Amino acid sequence: MQTDLLCSLIPLFPLIGFAINGLGFRKVPASLVGPISSAAALASFAVSLMLFSGFSGQPVKATLFDWISVGSLHINFSFQIDQLSLLMLLIVTGVGSLIHIYSIGYMKHDEGFGKFMAFLNLFLFFMLLLVTGSNYVIMFIGWEGVGLCSYLLIGFWNKNVNYNNAARKAFVMNRIGDLGFLLGIFLLITTFGSVEYTDIFEQATRFAVGDKMILAITLLLFVGAMGKSAQIPLYTWLPDAMAGPTPVSALIHAATMVTAGIYMIVRSNVLYTLSPVTLEVIGVIAIATAILAASIGLLQNDIKKVLAYSTVSQLGYMFLGLSVAAYSSGMFHVITHAFFKALLFLGAGSVIHAMSDEQDIRNMGGLRKHLPLTFITFLLGTIAIAGIPPFAGFFSKDEILAHVFLHNKALWGLGLVGSAMTSFYMFRLLFLTFFGEFRGTEAQRHHLHESPATMTLPLIVLAVLSVAGGLLNLPGGGWLSHFMEPLFAGSAQVSPEAFGHEIDHSTEYMLMGISTAVAIGSAIAAYVVYISRHAVPAPESAERSGIAKLVYNKYFVDELYEIAIVRPIRALGDALYNFGEFIIDGIVNGVAWIVRAASAQLRLLQSGSIGFYVFAMVFSIAVIVIVRFFVRF
Amino acid sequence: MLPIILLSVFGIVLLFMGFLKSKVLLLPATLVFILAALATTFMDWGKTYLYFQNMLLTNNLAILFTTIVLLSAFMVVALSNSFIEDEQAQPAEYYALLLFSLVGAIMMISFENLIMLFVGVEILSVAMYVLAGSDKHSPRSNEAALKYFLMGAFATGIMLFGIALLYGATGTFVVSGIKSYVYTNAYGVSLLLYMGIILLLIGMLFKVSAAPFHFWTPDVYDGTPGLFTAFMSTVVKTAGFAALFRVLSVSFVGVYSFWWGTLAALTCLTLLIGNVTAVYQTSFKRMMAYSSISHAGYLLIGLTALGTQTKQALVFYSLAYSLATISAFGVLLVVSRQRQDTNGVNENFDAFNGLARQNPLLGFVMAVSMLSLAGIPLTAGFWGKFMIFTTAADKGIYWILVFAVLMSTVGIYYYFRVIIAMYFREGAAEPVKVAPFYRYVLIAATILTLVLGLAPGLLEGLV
Amino acid sequence: MNASYLPSDYLPVLIQLGLALGFIITTMIVTHSIGPKRKSQKKDDPFECGIPVEGDARTPISIKYFLIAILFVLFDVEVIFLYPWAVNFKGLGVTGFIEMVLFMGLLLAGFYYIIRKGVLKWE
Repeated sequence: MQTDLLCSLIPLFPLIGFAINGLGFRKVPASLVGPISSAAALASFAVSLMLFSGFSGQPVKATLFDWISVGSLHINFSFQIDQLSLLMLLIVTGVGSLIHIYSIGYMKHDEGFGKFMAFLNLFLFFMLLLVTGSNYVIMFIGWEGVGLCSYLLIGFWNKNVNYNNAARKAFVMNRIGDLGFLLGIFLLITTFGSVEYTDIFEQATRFAVGDKMILAITLLLFVGAMGKSAQIPLYTWLPDAMAGPTPVSALIHAATMVTAGIYMIVRSNVLYTLSPVTLEVIGVIAIATAILAASIGLLQNDIKKVLAYSTVSQLGYMFLGLSVAAYSSGMFHVITHAFFKALLFLGAGSVIHAMSDEQDIRNMGGLRKHLPLTFITFLLGTIAIAGIPPFAGFFSKDEILAHVFLHNKALWGLGLVGSAMTSFYMFRLLFLTFFGEFRGTEAQRHHLHESPATMTLPLIVLAVLSVAGGLLNLPGGGWLSHFMEPLFAGSAQVSPEAFGHEIDHSTEYMLMGISTAVAIGSAIAAYVVYISRHAVPAPESAERSGIAKLVYNKYFVDELYEIAIVRPIRALGDALYNFGEFIIDGIVNGVAWIVRAASAQLRLLQSGSIGFYVFAMVFSIAVIVIVRFFVRF
Repeated sequence: MLPIILLSVFGIVLLFMGFLKSKVLLLPATLVFILAALATTFMDWGKTYLYFQNMLLTNNLAILFTTIVLLSAFMVVALSNSFIEDEQAQPAEYYALLLFSLVGAIMMISFENLIMLFVGVEILSVAMYVLAGSDKHSPRSNEAALKYFLMGAFATGIMLFGIALLYGATGTFVVSGIKSYVYTNAYGVSLLLYMGIILLLIGMLFKVSAAPFHFWTPDVYDGTPGLFTAFMSTVVKTAGFAALFRVLSVSFVGVYSFWWGTLAALTCLTLLIGNVTAVYQTSFKRMMAYSSISHAGYLLIGLTALGTQTKQALVFYSLAYSLATISAFGVLLVVSRQRQDTNGVNENFDAFNGLARQNPLLGFVMAVSMLSLAGIPLTAGFWGKFMIFTTAADKGIYWILVFAVLMSTVGIYYYFRVIIAMYFREGAAEPVKVAPFYRYVLIAATILTLVLGLAPGLLEGLV
Repeated sequence: MNASYLPSDYLPVLIQLGLALGFIITTMIVTHSIGPKRKSQKKDDPFECGIPVEGDARTPISIKYFLIAILFVLFDVEVIFLYPWAVNFKGLGVTGFIEMVLFMGLLLAGFYYIIRKGVLKWE
């Protein structure tokens, strides 16, 4: 069937790109590396578009081969194309292609350019597996694969010890989440006897709301999502992950990989709808993450760190949407966020590129004259993320907040606070970077230049999408929510009361008005502080008082983890090591000694004398016959 | 049954090609011949045919076993480029004998009449006796040939005696005829039948080198030129197990309760002797001989726990084992030839010291093959063991399972010695060179091992 | 075929076996015990046609004799197949003829191979 072929082509292209660039690293000419990997990404995007245009509304499943069969459990290597995977495919390949093109300009002069592009392709391959797989095991392969690629890419400049530590931190944090995910899969297998989405969701509709097993499964799966999508308490890796090259931050840590957790929950929406307790938990964690991260973002001075905390906070909003069963709103925010966050990161990359690898916004300022294209696109991205109409971020965030409002007024209020902070720190970033006087060194001033076309072109495309992305799902039943409706049929069936709250128009307009006012108000506040009063954040060494100190140091969460978790585990490890030295080693060595001694004895049987061999054979035959026929037992 | 005829004719053709001045054509011609035989094997795919007045029977299982055997032979021949340069060697004869032995192997795989089993075993064995002594100037090779011949003749005699007793009991040589005899006389089976089963089993167990009939194995494997050792330990073993499976699953399944206990005891003995003795070896080749004994033990578990899963497990295990063994011997051949010590070729563990640094490809091939033999996940060997163990679990024979798992942990020890030598020891500085085609064969075997390790379902549904 | 024999049916075989063994054993014992025993140096000496013994009896013989002998046995045995074929010539018809030609062809190919290999060359 043609769809089968197309489905397998999508992940195949990046894999081929990876093979060429990876195996031919240092052999493939540098001028070919970029086109090859970008072509691979673009080809996948083209195929995704073909699938999308030919999509009939019915999910299509393409089985490549029977992969593992153990007893009654059969795991196929198969892909599933439905509304959700199509959306994710388009985001991943579309934004991915743009970032590939951008990387050609950004990384061209790097020594490991070929390796970098190969890793990007590999990442794309695993991400595509993750979103197209038709069962949890394929998803898990992709899940692990993107974790691996993220590790490789964060530590890409592996000569720097701090970067390596950041990579390791990301990997370990993700592993904690993965363990939860894996346990969740095991529970799924014992409960449903299958890992296929279609089987599980079909069976799940027969469960009652609040089932204990489903509660355990959903909580475990959410632990996985916490790791991958950087929620409290597993969020600290994401800001550190900014050690990687900027395109990586854009691709992995903003647009695609971190949304894997959201994808997984939307995919399993039936299970989550069945478990309201889990949704409550998600809601609490999500709002806490959104506000905490946003507050840290207020005082950060590294351009990428600000964006990183903003990502964590926006992910919190997405989970907030999911927690009130507004799955399509969550996905909508995933899409718009992919556009504007990729745009912001790439813009930041362009700035860093122009500033000769300077990332501290205290040393920037006034860049709008030197980098006009970057400035305009960055401005559009900032407006979009701040939630000012009619840009993309406004519609998606507003939709989430509207659903939250219906569900819980307190959560809505907190969400609004976070939204105000978002607007403030984003405009602070914009003003400090692009307005005012230049605060860098003389050498940097001379070097200032607009980035090459391979870098600005993706910026322009993403800017257009950030502006117009809201059209996908205008308030009052837009295209997207209609398109995704079939995905939630199972959820609607098990728990009709979770859906169908129609918000009346006057309330909706009022909510819109409030959030717009809050966003614009924050923007004005930022303007007053950083433009009118020319305030510049204090340098690293300055004394900070009370709360400012707490926030500036990210609430000392890393230090807390160090004391509360890392050190006790080290101590435990030492204790176990000492225990193992004496007892376990003794047992192991003892057994090994016995085997060796037995081996030394058995070896002597092999005398080399054929007379003995024949005798042994005859003797054995005689023993067998006697035991078999004459001994009764 | 075209492959049997084709291979016989090709063998004779090869003998005459030996008269040509140039030896260059021999290797490619042999490869083409084996491929042709492989292609014709699949003509019967999906059907069940009786050939030559009910002498041979082909079905999908037989075709799969034949494929494994021919594939192994193909790879072994492909690795034999050293003969062309060797003045002493007589490649035409070697290749002809290999093809003849394949005829015997195919007969053993697809026999329907016990006479054919006997003829097949003899054709295979006689060719192997000669090949074992093919290095005419090496006393070890001569010793190996003579030992193999004497012991083999003895075992064949016992097997023939068993077949004769079976005939005496049932009045037929036909496998399915014996089956119907067993079923019609379920309660009053003649004593001769039992004795016949035991003797036939002993004869076959000798061929697959199961303990306590394994004594020939280390000496013969050690003395035989490496290439033919690889052939022996893959083709002969696969054919032997195919024959054992056919005779046990068709003829004697009705008296399972009689023979399974004996077989189980011998299985454990084989596992114990193979694995434990391998620990103490200093020669890699001798270690591989004991490893081949231990793998015979794992395969025997599948037969002991005869059930619906057995045939699939046997096919998968044989394939995984053959691939890993051939690539291991392939690496050994290159390394031992280029790292000579005072006694000529160096086949000890220390020949591999530092190999991963001088030739990462060879190191990787060897590492994968050792991991597969040890049964580490992500390699074909793991799934092979897994399937074999599943058959035992299905049958409820847990004690044998526990024993086998214990023994396979012993196995990890000696397989990892090679890996440690390759990756963590310092070795000679000069690089090890490999011919391109040789390299492709090794890479293909390694990739197959990994692919089967990642997607064991690929073979599912074929049997 | 009658496959179910009683143990008593084997009695004639046993008697036959006993008689055969008994005859040999009896004769050997009887000859040893009743024959006269005279020993002398000349009598115990190995001799052949009256020629005195020289050297060891185990003289190495050229391997070529052995090869020729083996080849002789090989071809000799295979030629035996011609007899049953000749007897049934008419009954086997054309198929039998073709099969025999194939068989003889193989045999001749082997013969040619031996000659080309130089196995029959004495020097």
